[in-house]
Amino acid sequence: MLRTVMLKTLRDHWRALLWWAVGLVGLAVYLVLLYPGIRDTPGYNELLNAMPEALLKTMVGEYPDFASPTGYLNSSLFFMAAPLLFIIFTLTFDGGMIAGEEERGTLELLLAYPLPRWRVVLEKFAALTLTTVALAAVFWLSLVVGMPLVEMEVSPGKVGAVMVNLALLGLLFGALTLALGCATGKQGLSAGVSATLAVAAYFINSLAPVVEALEPYRRFSPFYHYIGRDPLVNGLDLGNVAVLLGLTGVCLVAALLAFERRDLAV
Amino acid sequence: MAALPPSPARSVCQTAALTKFYGKQRGVLDLTLEVRQGEIFGYLGPNGAGKTTTIRLLLDFIRPSGGRATLWGLDAHRESQAIRRRVGYLPGELALYDRLTGQELLRYLANLRGGVTWSYVEALARRLECDLSRPIRTLSRGNKQKLGLLQALMHRPELLILDEPTSGLDPLMQQEFYRLLAEVRAEGRTVFLSSHNLPEVERICDRVGIIREGRLIAVEEVAALKARALRRLELHFAAPVPEAAFARLEGVRDVRVEGTTLHCTISGRVDAVIKAAAQFEVVNIVSHEPGLEEIFLAYYTPEKVSGEP
Repeated sequence: MLRTVMLKTLRDHWRALLWWAVGLVGLAVYLVLLYPGIRDTPGYNELLNAMPEALLKTMVGEYPDFASPTGYLNSSLFFMAAPLLFIIFTLTFDGGMIAGEEERGTLELLLAYPLPRWRVVLEKFAALTLTTVALAAVFWLSLVVGMPLVEMEVSPGKVGAVMVNLALLGLLFGALTLALGCATGKQGLSAGVSATLAVAAYFINSLAPVVEALEPYRRFSPFYHYIGRDPLVNGLDLGNVAVLLGLTGVCLVAALLAFERRDLAV
Repeated sequence: MAALPPSPARSVCQTAALTKFYGKQRGVLDLTLEVRQGEIFGYLGPNGAGKTTTIRLLLDFIRPSGGRATLWGLDAHRESQAIRRRVGYLPGELALYDRLTGQELLRYLANLRGGVTWSYVEALARRLECDLSRPIRTLSRGNKQKLGLLQALMHRPELLILDEPTSGLDPLMQQEFYRLLAEVRAEGRTVFLSSHNLPEVERICDRVGIIREGRLIAVEEVAALKARALRRLELHFAAPVPEAAFARLEGVRDVRVEGTTLHCTISGRVDAVIKAAAQFEVVNIVSHEPGLEEIFLAYYTPEKVSGEP
């Protein structure tokens, strides 16, 4: 596990990755087991719809039937909790990336070795990509195994579509944090700015149906491309995937360019 | 010193008018420097003088504001990867991966480098009495420093760039380290080391570059440096002595008599003072080895004198 920068980065994170996987499996199992109770609750939709509209739409989204399997999964998991968790994961992972190593001082040792800077950035990002995809796979597996046990009928393919978008969303904010870290060398600042932008993007997407002024900006929010066209019902939208991938690519290129030109911190 | 390569020595590292500003803050100014193959070059200066800045420019961690640096004729920025293949580097502020053991760290770095003979790494570890099995976070500063040296040496680089290499090493280990450097030189390899410790530089280096406030003020053979250095001398006599007997001697200044003790500063040889002192009854002679400040004074004083009326 110490052959390359990528493998070393994976090795550094395997313990954290394990706990994240345990947590996500736990969350999936908990929500699936809760579903029969929800399904049998008379007037569950009315209960939710009694909430103030803005609160409802920003916290659980806008779905025709909250007690249906897809409505339930979307509103209780995919709309807010899952993307939040994935973004926290990719943002904290960045501690082992460029800015983290720079602040700890180990980057100076690493870059004294005959590695081009761009390769270090790419290997670190590859490690982030692999772990994020692994987490999404574990999450997907625990849902598709759990759902039939409570007679929750959602196609595994459609759940997979959400997982693809979820991983891409997490990677986008991970790449953004990486770019900020590559440009500034400051880990805390990079994660903070990324987190702020993520929260803003979340609210732009979820408030747009309520606040008319936001509607034109909705398609600029990565959250819209993640969940706005309801992949759990409609399947994967290649346009959305392309936008998320494209933005991630832009961040990654920015990270490479910024890091290549910059003086390392003293 | 022994085992110098045949002249004319090839140049390993050259800088031409190398300048670095951090914003408005001075890093190094107009630095022109040459390190030759097979020598141990000491880079001497107080903390903050620009030693580390110079080294970071050579390794492309930072980019010059002006001028350029080349190693083996390769541009320090554009051809950095080829340069780093041939260099072993010990950072001044060494940070290692704390969660690895020494063995894991060196395996990782050897993998990144390629072409490292593991039996040589183990031999080096034995010589430096390095326990490779312990997690790095449990090691003392000196033991971490040994790992730092080990990784710099492990691929037998043509050039070693060592930033304050002996800091944290105990005296016995310092001796072993000096022996290692002598072997490196005997193999025709080159060492560039920075230090703020004059006796150390005098002891192991062939040539010395002196840097102060970002400027290179002198490059000298170590022997010449010693000859120019100002040395403070204290002579204790049995009875008070007349100041006039010492005041006009060649190379002697700042003569001051306090009771039976004479204080003076000497540049170069002490011969004249000793001969003058011999006419009195001498109880003791105390010679203070010149420190960095005295060296700097030796290089600054001529200008000062000429500037005065």
